[in-house]
Amino acid sequence: MRNEIELEGIIEDYLNGKLSDEELKKFEQLRLNDPAVDHKVVAHKFFLESLNDYALKADLKSKMDQMHGQIDVAALSKEVGPHPSFIVNLWRKNKAAVAVAASFILLTVVTLYSIQQTTQQSGSVELVSRELARIKNSQSSLIRKINSDNVTKNLKPANFGGTGFALTANGYILTNLHVVDGADSVYVQDSKGNSFKAVVKRKDSQYDLAILKIVDESFSPLSSLPYRLKQNPIGMSESVYTLGFPKDDAVYGEGYVSSKTGYNGDTTQYQVSIPVNPGNSGGPLLDEDGNIIGVISAKQNQVDGATFAVKSKYIQEALNSIPNDSLGKKVVFSKRNSLQGLSKSKQVNKIKDYVFMIKVYK
Amino acid sequence: MSNKLSSSVPEDREVVLGILNNSEKALNKLYTGYFPMILQFILNNNGDEDDAKDVYQEGIIVLYNKIKSGNFELSSKLKTYIYSVCRRIWLKKLAQQSKKSNNVSDFEDVMAVEVDVEQHEEKDQQFEKMQSALTHLGEPCKTIIQDYYINNLSMQDICEKFGYTNADNAKTQKYKCLQRLKKLFFQS
Repeated sequence: MRNEIELEGIIEDYLNGKLSDEELKKFEQLRLNDPAVDHKVVAHKFFLESLNDYALKADLKSKMDQMHGQIDVAALSKEVGPHPSFIVNLWRKNKAAVAVAASFILLTVVTLYSIQQTTQQSGSVELVSRELARIKNSQSSLIRKINSDNVTKNLKPANFGGTGFALTANGYILTNLHVVDGADSVYVQDSKGNSFKAVVKRKDSQYDLAILKIVDESFSPLSSLPYRLKQNPIGMSESVYTLGFPKDDAVYGEGYVSSKTGYNGDTTQYQVSIPVNPGNSGGPLLDEDGNIIGVISAKQNQVDGATFAVKSKYIQEALNSIPNDSLGKKVVFSKRNSLQGLSKSKQVNKIKDYVFMIKVYK
Repeated sequence: MSNKLSSSVPEDREVVLGILNNSEKALNKLYTGYFPMILQFILNNNGDEDDAKDVYQEGIIVLYNKIKSGNFELSSKLKTYIYSVCRRIWLKKLAQQSKKSNNVSDFEDVMAVEVDVEQHEEKDQQFEKMQSALTHLGEPCKTIIQDYYINNLSMQDICEKFGYTNADNAKTQKYKCLQRLKKLFFQS
């Protein structure tokens, strides 16, 4: 018993490296010679290591328990724990999947939209004829009545209105087909307020053009037309202006050619950035020299400043369809342009007598 | 993807150096820093707060031993390592309880830690064996052994503490206790 205790004491000292050199040699010799001692050494070594590991871990655990005590677990649980609601849990668990799905859908929508966008201009075209308000000023009608010789005229306010301009001095007027389409009767009113009865002579639905002829007896032929029809196409960014009747008096508008094609790439039209309103339909579009380059016909709903005008080339085509003998002496577009070189205000002053308000009764 | 956890998380390097230097402050920072992450994981995967505590402490011990053994390389984030270890431990526990563990709700990246966890489990078995042996040893043997081997008291101190008449008696007592403990430990 005593020896055993001493042996173990030596083994412990040996394992802890506390033996002196001499003792160490002696003990190692003993270990070599006696397998029982050697076995004891190995077993005790393993045991001490296990005990040491245990001690370390127990120590670490107790430290961690102490640290754990500082954490407000209940509050944290509330914050990070599963939500009582099934839906919320489902959402939390599948956030990633939902995000992927959502972004995929978004991407698809954007892609489809952009494809559509490239093939088709968004927004629809709004024809710029004007539905005249019921409370149209009766005063102005009265004044006209006094000024006019013809008292039998229809004084009922017109339902629809647009703009037109003289093609010939003897009373041929060009406007948009959609202004006069389906009309029971059409009257044109000049800048002085005189109304004249007119009839639709020709309709051209392809280019949305219509030619009217003033048939009123009180109408006296105009003096020769100041403007001329420009045959050659006009370039982008050229300054243009128009005169129209979005209200009872002529309104001047100024802008520029923004595209050589119209709605959805329509090559018969220009796209013009110019402020127009219902009532401007059928108005002439003139360049800076006072040449007619087109007819205002429509504007795009959702796009700012996109107005469309039928190109002058098609005005000429429409004009060509009228028999020559009915055009009268003063053929429309003389080669001479009396407006060239004049200032805008002087041009407008001359043109205004040749631009008419179209009043349509349906 | 994860809920934002509000607690502040220490620098990885700071923690590793702190543990190597036995800094309790570093351990504390580590412990409080990553607990919410594991709590979130356990609570959302069929566990409760106590499970979270047990699993997390196991995870920290794995990390601690790994750092202490000098094998820990900062190739991955500490956060990922802790999360992966705890995740592995918890999924094993769930499997042992034959609870469902498919469709695991994850909150962080996961890395491969199987080897580390297995090593830890072996060690853990030794720990439990020792714990049970000590429990079965009974008093006063348990305290004597702990005082001598763990708290590093001298034989003289133990002699005085337990009122033995001389150091030799204490030595004999300690020897007997140790033999019994060894027997319990190696037999179990």
